Formats: sequence, C-alpha cells, structure tokens
Amino acid sequence: MIWPLLTASRRFYFRHPLQLLLAILGVALGVAVFVGVDLANDSARRAFEQSEASLVGSATHQLIGVGTEIPNEIYRELRLNHGPLIAAPVVETEIRLAGAGERSFTLIGIDPLEELDFRDYSGMSLDVESDSARLIVEPDTVLIPASLGAALGIELGDSLTVSVDRRAAVPLTVVGRVGDQRYDPDGLNLPLVADIATVQELRDSGTLTRIDLILTPDELTRLEGLALSGITIVPAPSRSRVFDELSSAFRINLTALSLLALLVGVFLIYATMSFAVLQRRSLFGTYRALGVRRRSLLISVLCEAAAIGGIATFLGVLLGYALAQGLVELMLRTIGDLYFSAAVRAVEPSPALYWKGLLVGVGTSLLAALVPALEATRVTPRTAMSRAELERTAKRVTSMGAKLAAPCLAIGLIALAAAPRSLTGAFSGLFLVILATALIIPTCAAIGLRAARPAAERVFGVPGALAVSGVTAALSRTGVAAAALAVAVATVIGVGLMIGSFRGSVERWLETTLLADFYADVDNWDVSANAPLDGELGNLATIPGVRGVSLLQFTRLTTADGEVSVRAILPGPDGWGLTILDDGMGDPIERMDAGEGVLISETLAYRRELAAGDDLALPTGSGTQTFAVLGTYRAYNTDGGGITMPLSAYQSHWQDRGLDGIGIYLDDAVDRAAVREEIFALLEARPDVQLRSTQAIRSRSLEIFDQTFRITEVLRILAGLVAFLGLLSALLAIELDRGKEIAVLRALGFTPRQIGTLSLTQTVLLGTAAGVLAIPLGIVMAGLLVEVINQRSFGWGMDLVIEPAPIGLGLALAVVAALLAGIYPAWRMSRSSVAARLREE
Amino acid sequence: MTGSNSDVQLVGVAKTYGDSTVLTDIDLEVAHGEFVALLGRSGTGKSTLLNLIGGLDEPTQGDVHLLGRLLSSLTESQRSQLRAKSLGFVFQFFNLIPTLTARENVELPLAINATPKQEGRKRARTLLGELGLSSCENRFPEELSGGEQQRVAIARAIAHDPAVILADEPTGNLDLETGKSVLALLYEICRRRGRTLIVATHSDEVLGLADRVLTISNARLEEARR
Repeated sequence: MIWPLLTASRRFYFRHPLQLLLAILGVALGVAVFVGVDLANDSARRAFEQSEASLVGSATHQLIGVGTEIPNEIYRELRLNHGPLIAAPVVETEIRLAGAGERSFTLIGIDPLEELDFRDYSGMSLDVESDSARLIVEPDTVLIPASLGAALGIELGDSLTVSVDRRAAVPLTVVGRVGDQRYDPDGLNLPLVADIATVQELRDSGTLTRIDLILTPDELTRLEGLALSGITIVPAPSRSRVFDELSSAFRINLTALSLLALLVGVFLIYATMSFAVLQRRSLFGTYRALGVRRRSLLISVLCEAAAIGGIATFLGVLLGYALAQGLVELMLRTIGDLYFSAAVRAVEPSPALYWKGLLVGVGTSLLAALVPALEATRVTPRTAMSRAELERTAKRVTSMGAKLAAPCLAIGLIALAAAPRSLTGAFSGLFLVILATALIIPTCAAIGLRAARPAAERVFGVPGALAVSGVTAALSRTGVAAAALAVAVATVIGVGLMIGSFRGSVERWLETTLLADFYADVDNWDVSANAPLDGELGNLATIPGVRGVSLLQFTRLTTADGEVSVRAILPGPDGWGLTILDDGMGDPIERMDAGEGVLISETLAYRRELAAGDDLALPTGSGTQTFAVLGTYRAYNTDGGGITMPLSAYQSHWQDRGLDGIGIYLDDAVDRAAVREEIFALLEARPDVQLRSTQAIRSRSLEIFDQTFRITEVLRILAGLVAFLGLLSALLAIELDRGKEIAVLRALGFTPRQIGTLSLTQTVLLGTAAGVLAIPLGIVMAGLLVEVINQRSFGWGMDLVIEPAPIGLGLALAVVAALLAGIYPAWRMSRSSVAARLREE
Repeated sequence: MTGSNSDVQLVGVAKTYGDSTVLTDIDLEVAHGEFVALLGRSGTGKSTLLNLIGGLDEPTQGDVHLLGRLLSSLTESQRSQLRAKSLGFVFQFFNLIPTLTARENVELPLAINATPKQEGRKRARTLLGELGLSSCENRFPEELSGGEQQRVAIARAIAHDPAVILADEPTGNLDLETGKSVLALLYEICRRRGRTLIVATHSDEVLGLADRVLTISNARLEEARR
C-alpha cells in the first residue's frame, strides 16, 4: 500500500526539482552550522586538554611560588630533607623559533631522570633515530614534536634557533622527535623538550616554574605542614581549571550562537518540510477518499521526510566538517590570544558529534513533516481536499502559536530570574524569549499588514491592496519563514548592538585606564621599596618634558578557588585610572592608599561573590593573609579577575621587588617625538625593555577585540544565509502555490513586468514586516546579552548603547534578503505559461 | 491588420503538444457582436482554442487576429495590454483572486486600465448591483456561493467594457439551474452592449441562444447542425 504513495512522492519532487533542491539545501545548511560550531568547539577543547595533559602529565600536585618562581634550593631541600618523594622539577617558557613566524611555542625544561613517572619524555615514543641520552649529556639540545619537525622541515642533527622574550637567539641541536601515546598521539600539541639547565640558561634565570609531584594523602599532609616560605601546594591541573573557567564562557557563547543558527535552521527545515506536505494536503485527501489508511499515509510522509532529511543531513555534516576547519582556527587563535600565549593546533573532534548532527537534522525533518501530516490525516478526506480549510487550519495554527507566546515568555523570564548566576538559565531564558517572539511574529505581521491595507489601497489602488492582501494571505504559509528571517535579523541587530556597546565600554575603559603617554614593558628590573624612583627610573622621570611615571608589577596567584591576578601599582601624576563601581564606605582609593585593603575587579567580584566590605584570602610570602575588599572597579582583562593594590603594600607582603611595566607621562605642550627619542636613548642600554605608545596599545587591544568577535560575525552571516534560503524556499513554494492566481492576473491583462513587480513588492513587504518586528526583539536580545549573558559568562558589566547603525543594518538586511530571495520567484512568476497554469486545477 | 469586419480571425491555425495534435486547420471568423458557442466533449481542444484567441497560448501553426491585430506580431507586453483593454475572461472555476473582495475583484481590470479609482469603484458597485450582488461586494470569494462567484467573475469580465468576452465552461462548475441563469445573464449583457461572446461548453443549453454553434471533432472545427 505504501509503495504507490512513495512513488507519487518521488515523482512530486522530480517534477519540482527546485523545491527538492531548496529543501535539501535548507536542511543541510541548518545542520552544517550546528555541526560546524560543535565540531570546532570540541576540537578546540580537546586541543587544549591535550596541550595541558602533555605539560602536566601524571602529577597529582604541584609546588608553585607565590608571586615569584621557585629557587633551585627548595627542590634540593625537598629531595635531601623531606624525601622520599616522587617529584620532578619543571621550567616552562614561551619561545619563538626562527622561520616559524609570529607563532609562539612552549619549551619545557625537565630533568630526564625524574621524568619517567610524569611525562615519560625520556623514554616515550622516540623514533629509532632519536638519541635521548644526548639531551642529558650535551648542552643546548632539544627534542621536538614530530609534527613540528615535519612542518618546519627540521631533521635530526639540524640546528634550531630559539629566542626567549627579547633575548638574543640561541641555536639548539635537535636530537630527537617525540610523541605522546597517552595524550597526544599525533604530537600536535606537545611542547619542545630540553634539559632543565638548557632552559634555565635560555631564560637567564636559575629558578623553577614549578615542581610536579605524585603524592599520597600522607605525603600531601606532610608537605602542607612544612609551610615553605613563598611556596604553595596546589592540585595539579589547576591551569586546566583556569582554562575551563575562562574559555568555557567563551565557548558557551559560541555554542549559544550555534544553537541560534540551529534554531533558524530548524525553522527553515520546518518551513520547507511542512510546506512540502501542506502543498499536497488535498492530494492526501484524495488518497484518503480512495481508501488509503491514515497510518499508511503517515508512514509514507515520514519515509519521504527521512529520505530528504537523511540526504540533506549527510551533506550538512560534510559541510559542517569543512566549516569547522575554518572556525576552529579562529577559535584557537582567539582563545590563545585572550587566555594563553601558547599556540595550540586543532585536533580531530569526537565522532559522537557527527551522530548528534545526524540526529538533529533527521529528527527535525521528521518532526516538521509529522505535524502537518498528522493534521492532514486527522481530518475527513473532504476537509483535507478543501483549500479554504487548509487556510483556516494555517490561521488556527498561527493563532495557536501566538497564544503559546505568552506562557513561553513567562517561562523564559522565570528561567532568567530563578537562577541569577546560572548561565544555562540565562541561555534557556534567552531562547524562550526568542521563541516566544518568533511564535507571535506571523500574527503581528498579519495585523500590521492588514492595518496597512487601506493606506496601500488609497495610494496604489486595487494593485496596492492586492499586494498587501497577497502577503497577508501568504503569511499563513510563509509565517515560519518570516519568523526565521525576523529571528536572524534580530540576531544581527542584537549581537551588533551588544558588540557596539561592548566595544564602546572597552574603549572608555582603555581611555580611563591608560593614562600615560608611553608604556614600557620591562623584565628583570628591581625597584627599591623605599625609593622606587631612584636610579634609572629617576633618570626617566627627570627627562625634560616627562611630568611623571607610574610603576606596575603584575603577578598571578594560585589559590584553591582558581588564579587571581595582582596588579601592584605606584600611580602616576593622573592617579590610578580606575572606574569604581561599588564604593562601599568612604573613598576606596584613599583607603587603599592608606593601606586598609585592596580593590577588586568586577569579574573577580562576580566569580567569588564578593563586594565592598568582604574579605579576600590570598597566599603571601608569609602564609595566607586576609585583605579587606574596599570596592570594585571595571576591568575587561581576560585573566578571570584580579585585584589592585599599592606597589608598596605588594612589596611588603610578597617581598617581590620586580617590575613589569612603567607608564611615562608627558607634558601637554611637549615635542613628543623628541621626548620619545630621549626615552629611547636612555633605555637603549636595556634590551629587555619594549616601549609602546598608548595609542598603539589601544589599537592593538581593539584589534584583539575585533578579532574575538570575528567568529561571531561569521556565525551571524551564516544565520542570515540560512534565513535567506528559508525565505527563498518559501517564496518559491508560494510561486508554485499561486501559479493559477498569477495566470488569472495575466489573463486579465497584467504584463509580465507588472506580475514581477507585484511579486517583488510582496516579498519586500514581507521582508520589511520581518525587519520591523525584528527591531524590538533585537533590542531585547542585546539587553539580555549585555545585562545577563556577558555578566554571567565573564562577570563583565557594560553599558547598553542603542546605536541606529546595527538597527538600520538589520532592517536593510531583511529588505535586501527578501528582495534577493524574491527576484527568482518573481522572474518565474512573470515567465510562467498562462495557459498551462490555467489548465491546472 | 485584416480587411474584414471580424473581431476574431483564425487562419490555418494548428496546435500540438508533443506528439499530440489538439487543433489543426482551424479557420474561423467571428463578427463583431456575434455569439459563438464552441460545443464539444471535454478534452477536445475548446479551452486551447480560447487560449489561442486570447493570446494566452501561441499556435504551432497559423495566424490569430484579434480585433484586427496579428497576435504573433505583438510582444508579450503588447498582448497583455490588448487583453487588458479588449478582452474579458470567464473561467469554469471562477478564478477570482481569493485575497480580494468581490468589489475589488471587479475593480481589478479597471485598475489595470488606469481608470480613476473613484470611477472604478462606482462602476464596480453598479455592475454588482445589476447582477444582484450588492450585498456581497465586501465579501471574499470563499464566502460566496458558486453562482455568486461566477456572477462576480462575469462582472469582472465586463467591467472594463471589452470588445470580446471569452468564457471557458462558465457553467461547468454550477448546478443546472444556476448554470442556465448565469449563461442567460452573460448572453443578455453581451447582447445589450453589442459585445462579441465566445463560449466553450460541453452542454447544449447554449443552443437556443448562440448565433452560431461550432464543434471540435478530431482536432478540426466544424459548423454544427441545429
């Protein structure tokens, strides 16, 4: 019984190949966006996990310095006086390789004899030609990941020119190639490996980055009891946790965008598949009249949907794989830029994701076909054959969707309010708000257009009324496509407003924070606690035209709750450059100056749920100490949150005399180029100093900002493309559907040009309606992204600014997308054979 | 241009679809104000002949002249203009625009001919009143009965006062009584206004009204005996 129905279905699509093509394209593109982002996300996550695992190895704990690195003597003392322990010293540094461009690599210095229990570098997967023994006995030797050797064309015995920071490059001899079967069989994300002494020489420092440990609970208790000065013990994968904390928010945002693309894709799949079924509703009525059972009819429709959905999903997964290749590079570069200096290579994502994509594509196709098919088989054959009844049903469904919008919105708002810190709650709320709006869009568009009809008739006469009423009538069939277009346009508007607001806030923050005219990054500078501006710094401050300097020491502290960045500052003549958000009692900056406590960034305040008046415990050189939180300030650093304190207080707590940066303030009416030359002349003797203008820092910061959101742009374009295809598909379907009506108009004397114009007017009206309705949704979306999503993801607050440009862009996009999508159907309508269409009934 | 007084003139017209010949060797002249009935069973080519006369389709062979103009010499746009000014169509399935009210459907050909809006509205209302449809003017096609819809279609076909009205099975979708009254109405209007009427039908109710009855048999046109 089913076979004749399937044959008829097959022939239907063969006779309407364009509709088949659009259905396949629509589903494929929807699936591709979802799969592409999912694969890229997974690939990036696994790449970082591999990179992390290859660095941390089997260690259970790590000893790390508080604010500074670990002196070699500590390791010796541990070995001699507190053993036996399974411990391995590690020095880690970022390097650049000659011939490898701007990309940085991680070089890890190890003691090969202690490594077997940890990373197994000395014995692991060295190829037969490698000679690991030379790593120990020969200085300036290095093992490189096999993939790197292949990429750079480096053979065993070749020399590799390595530079650390801005020091002179040093040649290292490649004595082996490594891979790690446990974590990274391809060796894509392994570090370069050298003997610890080699790396210490390269860094010109005899300290250790950390000591990796494999501890029993008893050993852990014993070590914690030692209270080593300036040293703290933390669980091993703490850096992974930091990565997870920081980059997961970024990745969640990307996933959210992919889900948004999927939502638009699902709309498209639904619109395409349901229309294909709706279009043959009267045919189904005839089948039923001929005695075909409901069940058979349903099965045949589902088989058809499964076949189309299956083919399209398969293509979509392939397309998604290709898309992921581009996206993962963008993601890794952004995450690398924002969170880690190390470059990480993409790896193969989990195969389970492909199955997930298949499930989404085929599942949605089946659901989209099932709903109208169920409806068509539920009613009597006569009703199914009635066109008027079809219209009434479509209107009923539209009206039901509008009625569902209110509860949907209410649940969304409850989800947003119920768990004020939950990111999942925030996204669920956002999606329900979008869904509620999408449900009401067809009804709103119909009401708006009906209201516009008298005006159109007044101005353009009956053809005007015909254009408007044609769109209104078609909304019962194009409503889903219009909703998809509106959601896509709202996304463009919402994300555009959010990015604009964010960028504006970052610009204002940079303006407030970067008060000096030049900033010097310095390395290995000591600064006196009592007279910080003596010596070279004093000379700098007294250059004619320089009205003052500020000093900065930056360090990261590892605590049980994650890392905390510390900015110790001696402010310059223009003050601290902080925007205080929550000033507690009294002037927090004055109180901080007076040594009463510290200021914390709003990110840290959000993550740790801290506010002015609370206390913050931090590991110091003399054990854990509690600092009073005096207030919070705005900061868009991507370090997960930090504190700011006076340099003098920092030096007394951490006994660290180091200096990382100097801000140089110039007089207003000074010849900046001449002063710059003098500063250069003074600093020339120090090759470890890099001078940058504030303008350059601002530009670079905004460049990174823009790069961060480039992937968002890509996804926005894809969402727009999916919506465009949805609209094109719907308009072509209407062209099929209204063929006879158009033929009648032609018979009445409409010229082909007039038919084309009428059709285009209608699509532009549809696009305008979708665009206009997308504006409030876009603004709401921007508000939620700014006030809820970004706050909960990153702890960043920002001011929502409603600029006209993104709104205008969104509206233009809707109209242009509709216009473009309407050109081909309009052309077809104007060219179709009148006699042939009139014969059809 | 033809030298005759005919509104419609077909010379040696043939129409084939693939291997199937629907019409062949058709010669026909319809004088101004004449009522011609095309009689024949379904599928004999009556609608095709009307489509050729109306310029909705092109003959495979031969010439079609409408109101003295050779249709094949006109562009698509010129054919549309000719239809808009001089032709009225009545279809079996009414083919009213579902999204326009009865009055708006009638106004449509007037709007196409750039009749001032107020004048068009007045004319549509008058016509609907003459056809007994005053109460229906603001109703949509789906809210009208079959007979009412066909009367609206007739109003639409004559609204712009065309020289020729082509009716393709105008009673085919109506019951006998309603069909008769609709046909009588169409005849009456054309007669009163002196318009040419060509009706394709498979029923013989037109026999008493038509000036000439033609049949299509084996793709050829023949004069029917009455």
